[in-house]
Amino acid sequence: MAGDSQNAGWTIFGYLIAGMAFYGGLGWLIGHFTHIALLFPIGALVGLGVGVFGVIYRYGRS
Amino acid sequence: MAANVLASIAANCPETSAHLNSAARCRYPAPGYPDSFTYGPLFKIGSFTFNKPMLLAVICAGLVIWFFWAAFGKPKLIPRGVQNVGELGIFFVRDQILRPMMGKRGDNFLPFLVSLFFFIWVMNIMEIIPASQFPANSEIAFPASLMLMVYGTYTYLGIKHQGLGGYFRNMIPSGVPIGILLILAPVEILQYVLVRPFTLAVRLFANMFAGHILLLVFTLATWYLLSAGIGLLWSATSFVLTIVLTAFEMLIQALQAYIFTILTAQYIGGSLEAGH
Repeated sequence: MAGDSQNAGWTIFGYLIAGMAFYGGLGWLIGHFTHIALLFPIGALVGLGVGVFGVIYRYGRS
Repeated sequence: MAANVLASIAANCPETSAHLNSAARCRYPAPGYPDSFTYGPLFKIGSFTFNKPMLLAVICAGLVIWFFWAAFGKPKLIPRGVQNVGELGIFFVRDQILRPMMGKRGDNFLPFLVSLFFFIWVMNIMEIIPASQFPANSEIAFPASLMLMVYGTYTYLGIKHQGLGGYFRNMIPSGVPIGILLILAPVEILQYVLVRPFTLAVRLFANMFAGHILLLVFTLATWYLLSAGIGLLWSATSFVLTIVLTAFEMLIQALQAYIFTILTAQYIGGSLEAGH
Protein backbone atom coordinates (compact mmCIF):
# COMPACT_ATOMS: atom_id res chain seq x y z
CA MET A 1 0.00 0.00 0.00
CA ALA A 2 1.22 3.48 -0.87
CA GLY A 3 0.92 5.02 2.56
CA ASP A 4 2.29 2.07 4.44
CA SER A 5 5.83 3.35 4.80
CA GLN A 6 4.62 6.78 5.84
CA ASN A 7 2.68 5.52 8.82
CA ALA A 8 4.91 2.59 9.68
CA GLY A 9 5.64 4.25 13.02
CA TRP A 10 2.07 3.94 14.24
CA THR A 11 1.82 0.37 13.00
CA ILE A 12 5.04 -0.58 14.81
CA PHE A 13 3.72 1.05 17.97
CA GLY A 14 0.52 -0.96 17.51
CA TYR A 15 2.50 -4.20 17.21
CA LEU A 16 4.31 -3.60 20.49
CA ILE A 17 1.12 -2.67 22.34
CA ALA A 18 -0.94 -5.51 20.85
CA GLY A 19 1.79 -8.06 21.59
CA MET A 20 2.10 -6.96 25.20
CA ALA A 21 -1.68 -6.78 25.63
CA PHE A 22 -2.35 -10.24 24.23
CA TYR A 23 0.48 -12.25 25.79
CA GLY A 24 0.42 -10.20 28.99
CA GLY A 25 -3.31 -10.86 29.21
CA LEU A 26 -2.76 -14.54 28.51
CA GLY A 27 -0.08 -14.69 31.23
CA TRP A 28 -2.33 -12.87 33.67
CA LEU A 29 -5.22 -15.21 32.95
CA ILE A 30 -3.14 -18.36 33.47
CA GLY A 31 -1.48 -16.80 36.53
CA HIS A 32 -4.88 -15.90 37.94
CA PHE A 33 -5.98 -19.53 38.00
CA THR A 34 -2.64 -21.11 38.89
CA HIS A 35 -1.85 -18.40 41.49
CA ILE A 36 1.54 -17.64 39.97
CA ALA A 37 1.66 -13.84 39.87
CA LEU A 38 4.93 -13.81 37.96
CA LEU A 39 3.24 -15.11 34.81
CA PHE A 40 1.78 -11.68 34.04
CA PRO A 41 5.11 -9.79 33.69
CA ILE A 42 6.65 -12.80 31.93
CA GLY A 43 3.74 -12.83 29.48
CA ALA A 44 4.06 -9.08 28.87
CA LEU A 45 7.78 -9.46 28.14
CA VAL A 46 7.17 -12.39 25.82
CA GLY A 47 4.47 -10.30 24.12
CA LEU A 48 6.92 -7.44 23.67
CA GLY A 49 9.31 -9.91 22.06
CA VAL A 50 6.56 -11.18 19.77
CA GLY A 51 5.70 -7.58 18.88
CA VAL A 52 9.32 -6.83 17.94
CA PHE A 53 9.40 -10.09 15.98
CA GLY A 54 6.22 -9.10 14.14
CA VAL A 55 7.72 -5.74 13.21
CA ILE A 56 10.87 -7.42 11.90
CA TYR A 57 8.77 -9.99 10.05
CA ARG A 58 6.68 -7.35 8.36
CA TYR A 59 9.17 -4.57 7.68
CA GLY A 60 12.62 -6.06 8.10
CA ARG A 61 12.58 -8.30 5.06
CA SER A 62 11.57 -5.97 2.26
CA MET B 1 -11.12 27.69 32.46
CA ALA B 2 -9.08 29.50 35.09
CA ALA B 3 -12.31 30.49 36.77
CA ASN B 4 -12.90 26.90 37.87
CA VAL B 5 -9.43 26.69 39.39
CA LEU B 6 -9.86 30.03 41.09
CA ALA B 7 -13.16 28.92 42.53
CA SER B 8 -11.55 25.79 43.91
CA ILE B 9 -8.87 27.72 45.78
CA ALA B 10 -11.33 30.28 47.01
CA ALA B 11 -12.84 27.45 49.02
CA ASN B 12 -9.73 26.86 51.16
CA CYS B 13 -8.02 30.22 50.86
CA PRO B 14 -9.11 33.35 52.70
CA GLU B 15 -7.91 35.71 49.97
CA THR B 16 -9.57 36.07 46.61
CA SER B 17 -6.29 36.85 44.85
CA ALA B 18 -3.81 34.23 46.10
CA HIS B 19 -0.41 35.42 44.96
CA LEU B 20 2.93 33.95 46.03
CA ASN B 21 3.69 36.88 48.35
CA SER B 22 0.22 37.35 49.75
CA ALA B 23 -0.19 37.21 53.52
CA ALA B 24 -2.26 34.04 53.48
CA ARG B 25 0.43 32.14 51.50
CA CYS B 26 -2.04 30.16 49.52
CA ARG B 27 -0.45 27.40 47.50
CA TYR B 28 -0.06 27.38 43.73
CA PRO B 29 -3.37 26.32 42.21
CA ALA B 30 -2.05 23.51 40.01
CA PRO B 31 -4.43 22.77 37.16
CA GLY B 32 -5.57 19.18 37.12
CA TYR B 33 -8.19 16.77 35.96
CA PRO B 34 -11.44 17.49 37.77
CA ASP B 35 -10.99 21.23 38.26
CA SER B 36 -9.93 22.27 34.78
CA PHE B 37 -11.97 19.78 32.76
CA THR B 38 -15.42 19.56 34.29
CA TYR B 39 -18.14 22.07 33.67
CA GLY B 40 -21.46 22.53 35.35
CA PRO B 41 -24.63 22.21 33.30
CA LEU B 42 -25.69 25.19 31.23
CA PHE B 43 -29.23 23.84 31.21
CA LYS B 44 -31.02 20.60 31.90
CA ILE B 45 -33.64 18.63 30.02
CA GLY B 46 -34.81 15.94 32.41
CA SER B 47 -31.72 13.98 33.41
CA PHE B 48 -29.77 15.20 30.36
CA THR B 49 -27.35 18.01 31.16
CA PHE B 50 -25.94 20.27 28.49
CA ASN B 51 -22.53 21.75 29.33
CA LYS B 52 -19.85 23.90 27.75
CA PRO B 53 -17.92 21.21 25.83
CA MET B 54 -21.18 20.10 24.20
CA LEU B 55 -21.98 23.69 23.31
CA LEU B 56 -18.50 24.04 21.77
CA ALA B 57 -19.02 20.88 19.71
CA VAL B 58 -22.33 22.21 18.39
CA ILE B 59 -20.77 25.59 17.60
CA CYS B 60 -17.81 23.95 15.83
CA ALA B 61 -20.05 21.71 13.75
CA GLY B 62 -22.11 24.78 12.86
CA LEU B 63 -18.99 26.75 11.94
CA VAL B 64 -17.71 24.03 9.59
CA ILE B 65 -21.13 23.63 7.96
CA TRP B 66 -21.54 27.38 7.61
CA PHE B 67 -18.07 27.81 6.11
CA PHE B 68 -18.51 25.15 3.44
CA TRP B 69 -22.06 26.30 2.77
CA ALA B 70 -20.75 29.83 2.16
CA ALA B 71 -17.95 28.48 -0.02
CA PHE B 72 -19.92 26.02 -2.15
CA GLY B 73 -23.58 27.02 -1.76
CA LYS B 74 -23.46 28.76 -5.13
CA PRO B 75 -20.27 27.43 -6.73
CA LYS B 76 -18.80 29.34 -9.66
CA LEU B 77 -16.54 28.03 -12.38
CA ILE B 78 -14.00 30.71 -11.59
CA PRO B 79 -13.85 30.70 -7.76
CA ARG B 80 -14.03 33.99 -5.95
CA GLY B 81 -13.70 35.00 -2.32
CA VAL B 82 -14.51 32.34 0.25
CA GLN B 83 -14.84 29.65 -2.42
CA ASN B 84 -11.10 30.02 -3.06
CA VAL B 85 -10.35 29.24 0.58
CA GLY B 86 -12.78 26.33 0.60
CA GLU B 87 -11.20 24.81 -2.49
CA LEU B 88 -7.77 25.23 -0.94
CA GLY B 89 -8.93 23.23 2.09
CA ILE B 90 -10.54 20.50 0.03
CA PHE B 91 -7.55 20.20 -2.31
CA PHE B 92 -5.26 19.96 0.70
CA VAL B 93 -7.23 17.03 2.13
CA ARG B 94 -7.48 15.40 -1.29
CA ASP B 95 -3.87 15.77 -2.41
CA GLN B 96 -2.05 15.46 0.92
CA ILE B 97 -4.23 12.93 2.75
CA LEU B 98 -6.63 11.03 0.50
CA ARG B 99 -4.67 10.43 -2.71
CA PRO B 100 -1.38 9.24 -1.14
CA MET B 101 -3.29 6.86 1.16
CA MET B 102 -6.12 5.52 -1.00
CA GLY B 103 -5.45 6.59 -4.57
CA LYS B 104 -8.20 7.78 -6.93
CA ARG B 105 -10.43 4.91 -5.84
CA GLY B 106 -10.95 6.57 -2.48
CA ASP B 107 -12.41 9.79 -3.88
CA ASN B 108 -15.85 8.72 -2.61
CA PHE B 109 -14.57 9.31 0.90
CA LEU B 110 -13.46 12.89 0.29
CA PRO B 111 -16.54 14.45 1.96
CA PHE B 112 -16.08 12.25 5.04
CA LEU B 113 -12.37 13.07 5.38
CA VAL B 114 -12.87 16.79 4.73
CA SER B 115 -15.56 17.06 7.42
CA LEU B 116 -13.48 14.96 9.81
CA PHE B 117 -10.35 17.07 9.31
CA PHE B 118 -12.03 20.45 9.59
CA PHE B 119 -14.30 19.47 12.48
CA ILE B 120 -11.37 18.16 14.56
CA TRP B 121 -9.22 21.13 13.66
CA VAL B 122 -11.84 23.72 14.61
CA MET B 123 -12.63 21.78 17.81
CA ASN B 124 -8.93 21.88 18.73
CA ILE B 125 -8.53 25.55 17.84
CA MET B 126 -11.24 26.36 20.40
CA GLU B 127 -8.52 25.86 23.00
CA ILE B 128 -6.92 29.21 22.20
CA ILE B 129 -10.01 31.23 21.26
CA PRO B 130 -10.76 33.73 24.06
CA ALA B 131 -13.95 33.00 26.03
CA SER B 132 -14.01 29.44 24.69
CA GLN B 133 -10.51 28.36 25.77
CA PHE B 134 -11.33 24.70 25.99
CA PRO B 135 -10.57 21.95 23.48
CA ALA B 136 -13.65 19.72 23.60
CA ASN B 137 -11.47 16.88 22.32
CA SER B 138 -9.78 16.77 25.73
CA GLU B 139 -12.92 15.02 26.96
CA ILE B 140 -12.41 11.40 25.89
CA ALA B 141 -16.05 11.05 24.77
CA PHE B 142 -15.56 13.34 21.76
CA PRO B 143 -12.52 11.59 20.22
CA ALA B 144 -14.09 8.24 21.14
CA SER B 145 -17.28 8.96 19.22
CA LEU B 146 -15.26 10.16 16.21
CA MET B 147 -13.20 6.98 16.48
CA LEU B 148 -16.36 4.82 16.58
CA MET B 149 -17.47 6.38 13.29
CA VAL B 150 -14.10 5.59 11.69
CA TYR B 151 -13.96 2.11 13.25
CA GLY B 152 -17.46 1.26 12.05
CA THR B 153 -16.66 2.55 8.56
CA TYR B 154 -13.46 0.60 8.01
CA THR B 155 -14.74 -2.60 9.59
CA TYR B 156 -17.92 -2.48 7.50
CA LEU B 157 -16.02 -1.72 4.30
CA GLY B 158 -13.45 -4.41 5.02
CA ILE B 159 -16.12 -7.07 5.49
CA LYS B 160 -18.05 -5.79 2.48
CA HIS B 161 -15.05 -5.81 0.13
CA GLN B 162 -13.18 -8.88 1.38
CA GLY B 163 -15.87 -11.01 3.02
CA LEU B 164 -15.97 -11.82 6.73
CA GLY B 165 -13.37 -14.58 6.50
CA GLY B 166 -11.23 -12.68 4.02
CA TYR B 167 -11.20 -9.58 6.19
CA PHE B 168 -9.64 -11.49 9.08
CA ARG B 169 -7.40 -13.54 6.78
CA ASN B 170 -5.99 -10.38 5.21
CA MET B 171 -4.97 -9.06 8.62
CA ILE B 172 -2.33 -11.77 8.77
CA PRO B 173 0.67 -11.54 6.43
CA SER B 174 0.49 -14.18 3.71
CA GLY B 175 3.03 -16.95 3.18
CA VAL B 176 3.86 -17.40 6.84
CA PRO B 177 4.95 -20.77 8.27
CA ILE B 178 2.28 -22.29 10.53
CA GLY B 179 4.38 -22.02 13.71
CA ILE B 180 4.97 -18.30 13.28
CA LEU B 181 1.34 -17.85 12.24
CA LEU B 182 0.06 -19.23 15.55
CA ILE B 183 2.24 -16.82 17.53
CA LEU B 184 1.66 -13.78 15.34
CA ALA B 185 -2.02 -14.11 14.37
CA PRO B 186 -3.55 -13.04 17.72
CA VAL B 187 -1.27 -10.00 17.82
CA GLU B 188 -2.24 -8.98 14.29
CA ILE B 189 -5.97 -9.42 14.92
CA LEU B 190 -5.79 -7.60 18.24
CA GLN B 191 -4.04 -4.73 16.50
CA TYR B 192 -6.90 -4.34 14.02
CA VAL B 193 -9.85 -4.76 16.36
CA LEU B 194 -8.52 -3.12 19.53
CA VAL B 195 -5.22 -1.24 19.37
CA ARG B 196 -5.94 0.78 16.22
CA PRO B 197 -9.23 2.32 17.36
CA PHE B 198 -7.94 2.75 20.91
CA THR B 199 -4.77 4.61 19.89
CA LEU B 200 -6.71 6.67 17.34
CA ALA B 201 -8.97 8.10 20.04
CA VAL B 202 -6.41 8.30 22.83
CA ARG B 203 -3.78 10.07 20.68
CA LEU B 204 -6.13 12.95 19.97
CA PHE B 205 -7.53 13.01 23.50
CA ALA B 206 -4.13 12.91 25.26
CA ASN B 207 -2.60 15.60 23.05
CA MET B 208 -5.47 17.98 23.69
CA PHE B 209 -5.60 17.14 27.40
CA ALA B 210 -1.87 17.75 27.83
CA GLY B 211 -1.99 20.91 25.75
CA HIS B 212 -4.79 22.36 27.87
CA ILE B 213 -2.90 21.63 31.09
CA LEU B 214 0.34 23.00 29.65
CA LEU B 215 -1.27 26.31 28.77
CA LEU B 216 -3.07 26.47 32.12
CA VAL B 217 0.14 25.88 34.11
CA PHE B 218 1.86 28.91 32.61
CA THR B 219 -1.24 31.11 32.49
CA LEU B 220 -1.88 30.49 36.18
CA ALA B 221 1.82 30.88 37.03
CA THR B 222 1.82 34.29 35.34
CA TRP B 223 -0.96 35.39 37.63
CA TYR B 224 0.30 33.57 40.74
CA LEU B 225 3.88 34.87 40.57
CA LEU B 226 2.83 38.43 39.83
CA SER B 227 4.04 40.85 42.50
CA ALA B 228 5.75 44.22 42.82
CA GLY B 229 9.17 42.69 43.60
CA ILE B 230 11.49 40.30 41.84
CA GLY B 231 8.47 38.07 41.31
CA LEU B 232 7.63 40.28 38.36
CA LEU B 233 10.55 38.68 36.49
CA TRP B 234 9.26 35.13 37.04
CA SER B 235 5.79 36.27 36.08
CA ALA B 236 7.09 37.82 32.87
CA THR B 237 8.97 34.63 32.03
CA SER B 238 5.77 32.63 32.46
CA PHE B 239 3.93 35.10 30.31
CA VAL B 240 6.46 34.78 27.49
CA LEU B 241 6.22 30.98 27.76
CA THR B 242 2.43 31.21 27.58
CA ILE B 243 2.74 33.05 24.26
CA VAL B 244 5.35 30.63 22.90
CA LEU B 245 3.35 27.58 23.98
CA THR B 246 0.17 29.01 22.47
CA ALA B 247 1.97 29.13 19.13
CA PHE B 248 3.24 25.60 19.74
CA GLU B 249 -0.29 24.42 20.55
CA MET B 250 -1.55 25.90 17.28
CA LEU B 251 0.89 23.59 15.52
CA ILE B 252 -0.19 20.58 17.60
CA GLN B 253 -3.87 21.28 16.96
CA ALA B 254 -3.45 21.24 13.19
CA LEU B 255 -1.07 18.28 13.38
CA GLN B 256 -3.46 16.13 15.43
CA ALA B 257 -6.34 16.81 13.04
CA TYR B 258 -4.01 15.87 10.17
CA ILE B 259 -2.79 12.66 11.85
CA PHE B 260 -6.33 11.56 12.76
CA THR B 261 -7.50 12.10 9.18
CA ILE B 262 -4.48 10.51 7.52
CA LEU B 263 -4.77 7.40 9.71
CA THR B 264 -8.48 7.21 8.93
CA ALA B 265 -7.61 7.35 5.23
CA GLN B 266 -5.02 4.63 5.70
CA TYR B 267 -7.40 2.32 7.58
CA ILE B 268 -10.24 2.80 5.09
CA GLY B 269 -7.78 2.36 2.22
CA GLY B 270 -6.58 -0.88 3.76
CA SER B 271 -10.17 -2.13 4.00
CA LEU B 272 -10.88 -1.34 0.35
CA GLU B 273 -7.79 -3.24 -0.72
CA ALA B 274 -7.99 -7.01 -0.73
CA GLY B 275 -4.85 -8.66 0.59
CA HIS B 276 -1.95 -6.32 1.35
